[in-house]
Amino acid sequence: MVNELRHRRTLSESIGRLLSAPFRRSGAATAEHHIPEAIWAIKDVSFELSQGQVMGVLGRNGSGKSTLLKILARITSPTEGMAVLSGRVGALLEIGTGFHPDLSGRENILLNGTMLGMTPTEVGHREDAIIEFSEVGDFIDTPVKHYSSGMFMRLAFAVAAHLDAEIMLVDEVLAVGDAAFQEKCKNKIQDIARSGRTVLFTSHDMAAVMRICNSGVVLDGGRLDYSGSAREAVARYCRLMSVPLPQEPAAGDDFRTVSV
Amino acid sequence: MSSIGQASEQTIIRPVQQGPSLDLPELWRFRHLFVILVWRTLKVRYQQTVVGVAWAVLQPLLLTFVFTVIFGMLASMPTNGAPYPVFVLAGLIVWQFVSQSFQWASSSIVSNAHLVTRIYFPRILLLLAAVTAALFDLLCTLALLVVVLLWYGIAPTIGALAFVPMLAFAIVTVVGLALWMAALYVPYRDIGHLLPFMTQLWMFSSPVIYPTTLLPAKYHFIYALNPLVAVIETSRWAFAGGKPPDVSMVAAAAVIALALLLSGLWFFRRHEGTFADVV
Repeated sequence: MVNELRHRRTLSESIGRLLSAPFRRSGAATAEHHIPEAIWAIKDVSFELSQGQVMGVLGRNGSGKSTLLKILARITSPTEGMAVLSGRVGALLEIGTGFHPDLSGRENILLNGTMLGMTPTEVGHREDAIIEFSEVGDFIDTPVKHYSSGMFMRLAFAVAAHLDAEIMLVDEVLAVGDAAFQEKCKNKIQDIARSGRTVLFTSHDMAAVMRICNSGVVLDGGRLDYSGSAREAVARYCRLMSVPLPQEPAAGDDFRTVSV
Repeated sequence: MSSIGQASEQTIIRPVQQGPSLDLPELWRFRHLFVILVWRTLKVRYQQTVVGVAWAVLQPLLLTFVFTVIFGMLASMPTNGAPYPVFVLAGLIVWQFVSQSFQWASSSIVSNAHLVTRIYFPRILLLLAAVTAALFDLLCTLALLVVVLLWYGIAPTIGALAFVPMLAFAIVTVVGLALWMAALYVPYRDIGHLLPFMTQLWMFSSPVIYPTTLLPAKYHFIYALNPLVAVIETSRWAFAGGKPPDVSMVAAAAVIALALLLSGLWFFRRHEGTFADVV
């Protein structure tokens, strides 16, 4: 399994430009070559990732991490370039996608699970595990608008965590709920990372990156600053942010070293 | 966990493609999501209402009542011999579907912005789900129509066989027009203000509350540019008697409906890649 991003100039001029003008003006990803002030959210970012690798995607806010994941998740189209992904892609860019307040927890599991790419049968098989993980108990048949925000997030994370895709794009959805549930979320993410899947993981938690990831890239201003080992990526990132390198994580030692 | 390592799917991501193409294999892969979207639309619409799904029958019933009082009794609209409730319901069955599906489908991208910005799926699914959900209401109106026909002791004519194929024209027209509107709605919120007005105008330019014969014959060819005219005329022929629409009118409807669909697909496909950035 190889994922690669290769960039080339492919945007062709074509008919219907007039009609597309409003779209072109507002979207950063739809920049035109002849507009000098066009902002590229990411440019010249090429890397390969083999099956089972867990890659940390590091960079300050606005460096293009989310745009990269959004392109790989096909939420937004690249202006140019190409990416090849071999395997089913699961995107956890935000939890609770498509949750409807008027529907019950059980109905939202079906809705959200299907939206994340599971078939209704797969959701059915995992329903009990999801409900158990979420700890919402008897509230599962109550409309989620009556949930506390903690319960809502726990259920949302539980559905996302039970997604079974070969390639997982994870954008800092970890750590919702109270301290105990946050711990459970982090453990679950590590389980996902260790289950042989290919994972792209963005986080500002360097201790977590060093513990989970075996490779890393650093983005700066939309460009690839570094690609290689997770340890070196964390070091580059800390230098970039002028913060001290986190301590070597000991087993069970889990706290946020860097918060941005 | 069983699927790991099989590399079942390969995805190639490139810049937005051109052309009025519809990736049918991909739509098929997303069929579960489509079913869930339709289910959600219907479920949520009748959730927390006292009479629930009965609204799907009550709405056309109340409209029929209002139109019968105003246009049937007060304005004495000519109906070619049919009782006005039957006459107007034969028009409303098409019109209610068109107005609902057109407005829902046109606003489906903007009203589901939280989905569009967070997950990938062919965006056209939102439109198709809106139209399919409206078809459910059409079935309820059809049940009402059957009851009204029984009440008046009127049997449908042979035109009833043409009703379903002609309904496909209405669906194609709505999808085509909604593709344009939905894509334009993303950058231009003006569309939201225009939609009710457009729908109103469309209703008055379709023979919903009045018969086509009310219009001078020399304007008929302009009138026929609206594909709904042929569809509603077929419905009238089927359920309220009268004569079938001209072949030329049906042909014009087919050409225009198809042109709307193809151009709509082209425009929508061109822009769906940037919806998440702009919406």
